[in-house]
Parts: sequence; C-alpha cells; structure tokens
Amino acid sequence: MQNAKDTFYVMLQSRLAALNPSRTIVVRGVVRPGTLVVENELPTGSIPVDVFRMEWTGLRVDSAASLPLVAMECSIGYCTDGTSGDGGMDRGRLLAGMDAELASALGAEPHTAQKMNYSAAGAGVAPIAMGTDVFWADPVFGAVTSVDGRLARTSTVQVFAYQEVGEL
Amino acid sequence: MSDLGGSSAAARATDVLLRATGGRKVMLRMPAPAIPADVAEQLGVATPTFQDLPLAPVVYRKARATIAAGVATKCELLVSATAVEAIVGSLAFASASVLFATAYGILSDDELLEIVAASEEQVFGRPYVYRLLLRTPLTQVV
Repeated sequence: MQNAKDTFYVMLQSRLAALNPSRTIVVRGVVRPGTLVVENELPTGSIPVDVFRMEWTGLRVDSAASLPLVAMECSIGYCTDGTSGDGGMDRGRLLAGMDAELASALGAEPHTAQKMNYSAAGAGVAPIAMGTDVFWADPVFGAVTSVDGRLARTSTVQVFAYQEVGEL
Repeated sequence: MSDLGGSSAAARATDVLLRATGGRKVMLRMPAPAIPADVAEQLGVATPTFQDLPLAPVVYRKARATIAAGVATKCELLVSATAVEAIVGSLAFASASVLFATAYGILSDDELLEIVAASEEQVFGRPYVYRLLLRTPLTQVV
C-alpha cells in the first residue's frame, strides 16, 4: 500500500503544479511544488500556509478477492492567512482558489494512475512500474474553520489500489 | 546612549547574566539542505544528513521541568541573542524565526528536544534573548 500512497502523492503533486506553478513551498532551502506528505517530512510544530498537506488517515483492506483491495483515506489540509499586503481581506478568495485547484486536479480524467514502486527511486533512478492501477473517488470538502483570521479546510478522498503479490 | 548602543549593551548584559547563572552549551541540530527535485526525499525514502551547531550561553529557565503522566515534558530555554545572530549570519538565514523553524531540535546532554515555539525579547527593536519552548521526545513519554 505504500506504493499506492507514493503514486497518489506524485500524481496529485504534478497535477496541482501544472494547474498553478506559482504555488510553491520552501523545504530545507529548496523550492518545490506546494504539496507535501506530512509523514514524509521532519516533524515540526509550524503549519505552512497556502500549500496542500496530505495525511493518510484511514485504511480498509478487503481480502475477499484474489488480489486484496486496499481502500485508504487521504486527508488533504490547506489554509491561508490571505495576502498580508491586503490585510488578509482576500483570504476567502485564496481559499476558494485552493478548493478549485484541488477539485480540478482530482476531478480530471483519468481517475487512475499506474502504480509505481519508488522504494529504489532517486537521482537518476526511475521508479518501477507495477501491474495494477491506483484509482480514487471525488473529494469530499469539509467545513471551513477560522482561527485568528486563518481560514482552513480539510478535504478527504478515498484512494483504492490492489495489493499485488509480494507487495508491502 | 544611542538606540543601537543600548540594544547591543542589553545583548551583552544578557550574555553576562546567562553565563553568571550557569550558562551552558547545547547543540542546535540542523538538517542539511534538501536535494532539488529528489522524489526520494519527498517520499521519505531518503533522509537528510544533520549538522550540530554549538549554541552558548544558554540557560534552562527552570532546573526541574513539570512532569505529567502521558504528556511530553516541556521546558523553556533562554538563548543568547548574540549566539543566535552568529548562526543566522553564517548560515544566511533570513531571520532567527526561520532558523528555529528549520531546525530539527536541540541536542542537550545527548537528548534531542523538539522546538515547539520560539519567541524573542527586544530592546530598541533588537533581540537580546530568545526563548525556546522545548518538548522531550515522544518515545520518552510514559
């Protein structure tokens, strides 16, 4: 199931980056697209704004078929303070923009991606294509919360994949 | 006395005070810069290397931290602004807040403490001491 999680992250990051290349984050001195998996980063108490933070929050395995079907819930959190130069008055518009980007990225066809094995991938080493696909449902958008002027929302999406033989 | 002179005098006085009250050295553990476009790091496959930078003088605000069952112990560390400014300058960070947000933790007596929050005390617009709220590792919570 780790391969499915990695594949879904890479797919979503590339789609979101294509929709809005200016949405970036600086992680340890390097600028990269503004999507990250929280569990893959160093623990930190600070929450970055204007980026998408993915967390894997649910798991269900259906072993009835020859290939177990894995259903995972991915929570995608994002928040914004608005533009400081505008006094934060545009925070609603910025959050709506992130809503639209996420809905567009996850709603675009196809709703599938070939599962890849990234465990040996690195600089100059390509991931290994696997035999099945990762597919996902439409996102469910949670309610907006507002704390000290910061607008935040968490959306969830169900991600499915078949567990191949020998796959961890 | 000019503002600049007053602020630097406050920083020096704080350093003296920290040393006089048992000032000690801890290490600031910094992760190495990320590798551009390396998907392995973004997926948690490859981990960064770390470097430890000396931070002195520092003083724990309370010698004994408050302990509660099942909750990570927290303590407060007072850090010399002079030492922080030296690191911020040598590593070319934009500010001390960025430095502490990037840091992985404080290594104190072979124990790695997570930085929960950082704040500063100023005089004439210049920090003279930094206050770090630290948390013990979750593995030590009973």
